[in-house]
Amino acid sequence: MTGLVARGLLAACLLLVLQSPAIRFDSGRNLFVLENWAGAAQVRPERGGDVFTVSVDAPNVPALLGQYRIENRSLIFAPQFPLQPGMSYRATAKIAGATPITTVVRIPKPDVKPTTVVERVFPSTNVLPENQLKFYIHFSSPMARGFAYQHISLVDESGARVDVPFLELGEELWDRDGRRFTLFFDPGRIKRGLLSQQELGIALHEGKRYSLVVDKGWKDAEGRPLAAEFRKTFRVGPAERKPVDLKSWTVRAPQSGTRNALTITFPKPMDHAILQRELDVVGPGGSVTTGGVTIGPEEKTWIFTPDAAWKKGAYTVRVGTATADLAGNMIDRPFEIDVFERVDQNLNRTTRSLEFRVD
Amino acid sequence: MTAFRITICAALTLLLLTSAGVAVQRTDSLKAGKAELQSAGALTFGPDGVLFVGDSMGGKIFALDTEDRTASQATAVEVTGMSEKIAAMLGTAADQIQVNDVAVNPVSKKAYLSVSRGLGPTAAAVIVRIDSTGKIEALPLDNIKHASVVLPNPVNASTGGRGGNARLQAITDLAFVDNRVFVAGLSNEEFSSTLRAIPFPFNQADKGTNVEIWHGSHNRFETNSPIRTFLPYRVNNEQTILASYTCTPLVKIPVASLQSGSKVMGTTIAEFGAGNTPLDMISYAKGGQNFILMSNTNRGVMKFSADGLEKFNPITAQVPDKAGVPYETIASLTNVVQLDKFDAQRAVVVTRTGTNLDLKTVALP
Repeated sequence: MTGLVARGLLAACLLLVLQSPAIRFDSGRNLFVLENWAGAAQVRPERGGDVFTVSVDAPNVPALLGQYRIENRSLIFAPQFPLQPGMSYRATAKIAGATPITTVVRIPKPDVKPTTVVERVFPSTNVLPENQLKFYIHFSSPMARGFAYQHISLVDESGARVDVPFLELGEELWDRDGRRFTLFFDPGRIKRGLLSQQELGIALHEGKRYSLVVDKGWKDAEGRPLAAEFRKTFRVGPAERKPVDLKSWTVRAPQSGTRNALTITFPKPMDHAILQRELDVVGPGGSVTTGGVTIGPEEKTWIFTPDAAWKKGAYTVRVGTATADLAGNMIDRPFEIDVFERVDQNLNRTTRSLEFRVD
Repeated sequence: MTAFRITICAALTLLLLTSAGVAVQRTDSLKAGKAELQSAGALTFGPDGVLFVGDSMGGKIFALDTEDRTASQATAVEVTGMSEKIAAMLGTAADQIQVNDVAVNPVSKKAYLSVSRGLGPTAAAVIVRIDSTGKIEALPLDNIKHASVVLPNPVNASTGGRGGNARLQAITDLAFVDNRVFVAGLSNEEFSSTLRAIPFPFNQADKGTNVEIWHGSHNRFETNSPIRTFLPYRVNNEQTILASYTCTPLVKIPVASLQSGSKVMGTTIAEFGAGNTPLDMISYAKGGQNFILMSNTNRGVMKFSADGLEKFNPITAQVPDKAGVPYETIASLTNVVQLDKFDAQRAVVVTRTGTNLDLKTVALP
């Protein structure tokens, strides 16, 4: 008899425990659930934070942003943003007349092996003009923003760092995918006649060798450091101050009826990114010929393979005037202009034409 | 006398109605819904609690109705450990967020911050505001009255659908002047300026003027130079933009000269030397004099007189340090990464110590 009573009491206690409000983290759906609470039905979702809050497990911090909803006897909190691996979160329920309930949830952080590397840097040539304007650094995976300049340096032959050679902008210059970083040299040290250049001089000196160094500490978008340091060593040639001149380009025209490549060769290396977007081939009918572009070694050739076979007739390569060399000299417009009035003449003319025939 | 009073009353009523009408019209152009910000960078306030947000990733300017139009007599706002608190609200750690800009609502005195939650290209754009009690809340971007305008990607010659996708304009600064939003940007490909003036309310048919800004150094060399930060300011009763290039000189540009398709040369009025990039500028009056305060990456916070800027001759010859407008560096203001005006006597600054950011009001020097 006594045994029966004891078992009954135990069952009742278990039921009570099972029926008591409790906090559960649903890792599959990223939800914090205050369950087994009859009072849930009386709570308006917008007042859910009066009873149930979730915050980062740290003192004096505001609660997480998110939405509440009621389901059966549960008050559910859905955080607005995914939870951060490696962090702990504290969920607290304060039900009137009951002891507060608290649960701490730790989100596991998987082991992260570094795999991201610098794939390539443009310009690809190893001789750069003294007034080199920028580098494009391409990564194999998306990178984290906000730390770029801490991880890039320019060192001279002796291994000494060059003092502030680059333009450091809070709005780091990335592409949409976060895989290409644009690194400008400080224009104050390139443009002639500025106080910056007087104080620090130019960053690169003709005849010397330098290395652009990207250290391993730079983290990718997943928080992993780079798999390896990257180093591009180059020699410095004379400053390049002449505008880009279409007349110095050579065109190797393909034969009609083939899909052979059209190749344009430049006398000096060109800006890789701008070259990719500024040239179009216009066919005899006046419409743009579709196709793929490859940029050749040292950015000295533009190779165009059409989607369809070439037709006989007169073609035009339409060239945007933003097409630039390594020092930012553009078509008919040097980076620095000696006579201001010359700029006006061509301000609104944004393309030039290069004719060729397909026979 | 009675007739005079009636006239005055009628005039005042008309003025009131007109201002109310303008207010209604401005926020009427904003439609409720989700503001699809791909990123949140440069901020500036327009009239009636409208917050302009530069979205560099999306290539747009957003106008958000903050519905924050209640005047406040607040004299301070302070949050120690701000980055940790904002990060906690967003469910992450302080080193996983970036605070991109700060703008104070001149009416409510609440500080608005544009924040990236996450560090990669898919980071979420968040706008938070902080009141005088230090309370931090997020603007509900899922349902907010807003409008946006697309910034045209300029001079992309290739129409063959090739290239151009990697090209973005980083919006470096915004200002609202004479019913236009001025936008300064820097391309991630070419070294050139784009200063745009976009009428507000936004009108898709009128994307505004687009002006090439040039920098002439010492009457000899000119380059098409990007503007890093700028401040609308009246010089000798002429609406002017005081702009700082990425290569540090301070120039003045008359707003009247900003006509579409034109080439505009800024007049250099100061050079601040090497290894430094200006961050923010504000103007204020103190003791009957006008001043400008400028924060920098490497040269602290500089103060210089804004009186008689029109009298400064353009710099046309190489000169030693502190060329042009004389300035002083404010020793008490260090590690300032964001600066905006709070009221006539105070500024809001965000300071950085390691990975931590604090926000506070400081007396204007």
